[in-house]
Amino acid sequence: MRQYFEKMDDLGKPLKPAQIERMKENRAQIEDVMKTIDAEVERVKNAGIPAETVRKRGQMTVWDRIEYLVDPGTFCPLHTLYNPTDNEEGMTGVIDGLARIGGKWCVLIGFDNKVLAGAWIAGQADNNLRVTDMAKILNLPLVWLVNCSGVKLTEQEMVYANRRGNGTCFFRHAELEKMGVPILAGIYGTNPAGGGYQGISPTILLAHKDCNIAVGGGGIVSGMSPKGSFDEEGAEQIIESTRHFKEAPPGSVGVHYDHTGFFRAVYEKEAEVLDALKQYMAEMPAYNPRFFRVAEPAEPKYPPEEISSIIAFNQKAGYDFDNVLARLVDNSEHLEFRPGFGPEVYTGLVKIDGYLLGVIGNRQGLLPNYPEYTNEYTGIGGKLYRQGLIKMNEFVTQCGRDRVPIVWFQDTSGIDVGDTAEKAELLGLGQSLIYSIEETTVPMTLVVLRKGTAAAHYVMGGPTANNHNAFTLGTATTEIYVMHGETASVASFSRRLVKEKDGNQPLGPIIDKMNKLAQEYYDKSRPFYCAKKGFVDEVVRYEKIRNYLVAFANAVYQNPRSICPQHHMMLPRLIRAEVVKGLERPPKE
Amino acid sequence: MSVEVLAPMPGKIIEVLVNVGDKVSEDDELLILEAMKMENPVYATADGVVKEIKVKKDDTVDSDQLLIIIE
Repeated sequence: MRQYFEKMDDLGKPLKPAQIERMKENRAQIEDVMKTIDAEVERVKNAGIPAETVRKRGQMTVWDRIEYLVDPGTFCPLHTLYNPTDNEEGMTGVIDGLARIGGKWCVLIGFDNKVLAGAWIAGQADNNLRVTDMAKILNLPLVWLVNCSGVKLTEQEMVYANRRGNGTCFFRHAELEKMGVPILAGIYGTNPAGGGYQGISPTILLAHKDCNIAVGGGGIVSGMSPKGSFDEEGAEQIIESTRHFKEAPPGSVGVHYDHTGFFRAVYEKEAEVLDALKQYMAEMPAYNPRFFRVAEPAEPKYPPEEISSIIAFNQKAGYDFDNVLARLVDNSEHLEFRPGFGPEVYTGLVKIDGYLLGVIGNRQGLLPNYPEYTNEYTGIGGKLYRQGLIKMNEFVTQCGRDRVPIVWFQDTSGIDVGDTAEKAELLGLGQSLIYSIEETTVPMTLVVLRKGTAAAHYVMGGPTANNHNAFTLGTATTEIYVMHGETASVASFSRRLVKEKDGNQPLGPIIDKMNKLAQEYYDKSRPFYCAKKGFVDEVVRYEKIRNYLVAFANAVYQNPRSICPQHHMMLPRLIRAEVVKGLERPPKE
Repeated sequence: MSVEVLAPMPGKIIEVLVNVGDKVSEDDELLILEAMKMENPVYATADGVVKEIKVKKDDTVDSDQLLIIIE
């Protein structure tokens, strides 16, 4: 199949000096947003006690451990700003992402031992769920850096119980193991109760000499014998018990290496635990890249740094999506699927680090003589019409048949609306796309380049596709909401305006409410808000998107659950053979 | 030979990006047309020199209206 893949069709064009000059202000606006994101990331990195305090104790911070453990330049952090409950710690207490360790890709997660000694805090359960979902979707080993003091006892109602409590993680570990996905744990520090299960639930347990894992910690054991209320005598007993257990906490290495043998190995130094994790990772089953690569890896012909001179910060301004894609894919080449059909959507095959991926993305700009089902109005990129929805259904289904993972790019204002659109079956075709995705068991990822809006955010591989979307990236221009704030204001208050007008009442109070709602929509759709609430899993600079795509491509092809031989693939043949351009529009009456 | 650049749909001119006498290449942005609530670039359809600009900022245009002549 060399003739299909080694040299695909050229994609994109060089930027013209005039465009680069004209986009100067655009680049500055994008950089302003990213500076606020950078500041938030820095705040998260410095959460809890100072790193130096941890190091003075002879310990490494979670960030030190990650830096030592991960192959240089491969860590793609995720959920850094995730804090869905707006807890006082300002983060979920865990750091995670895609990473290569010992030459093999994995999902990596570690407790931030600077923050309440790695406690379970609000929002962490959902973070863990996302991480275990990633391991499941990508079929990647999960590596835990366990250092967990258990429930933050003063907020137990926020973390302990519920359908998605922190304990859900242990069932997810069991589920992964049942599916054949291994979980490695490097264990540090004191890990009582929930921390104990964080330690015991993985597949291979590698311990630092000072660590312990236990059903209950010293504090729990010594607190079990008061009289039902506390008094001076009881307090003295607690003090005595605590002193004892502080000296010898339950579940130490002496118990769980020497006696139970739960720990596979024990290491004197912290770094030696990480060395052992590297060794285990190096031994993980993985195909040699040549097994699945369709061509030699190549950088894009055009630099990714130019994307900020293409995507308009002004959400009303169009841009050339093909030119963006050209700056992300190997050698700026592609094979487009049905180029003349459904022009509002790009579908095609590309190479990332030599691996074949499917891409689906919204095109922008005017679409004269389209859609084909009406002459009442003209099409505009970003919206979805009948042909585009049909094309995406076809492409997703074919990717499933050919076992080609999919990257979605969203900049969508929604699906066409109105009776004309209903007659064109758009409601049904949108749900058909959801069916096609659910039925197509290949891993997917999403980049929300600008707008993720209305049902289109769902049907275009959004994170609501729980079983397929491994992670979603945001950018400086991302905004996610059910509809534009001004549209929502009109929808919410238009009848009220009529009523007030007919009653000769002043319109000012209603107008104020409309402006307030529109502002709230704006504030609650910005990139930082999206990351904090988990609408996206990380906000990244445009030029870093390719790093994540490289990680995704390597991850999905490391050890796939099913395989389509390259010479059995239909998509390249369909693309080369296609002649269908779609139907002509009805003549004007 | 002259090439006529026409409005692809009705809308309002919000910016003219070229001047008479400017040398342009195919696919260069000539002006910005606001239509369907979006700001849409209108591109040169051929290489050449801008001979005549038939519209100005804030003009409302109809579909297929002549915008610019390139020679």
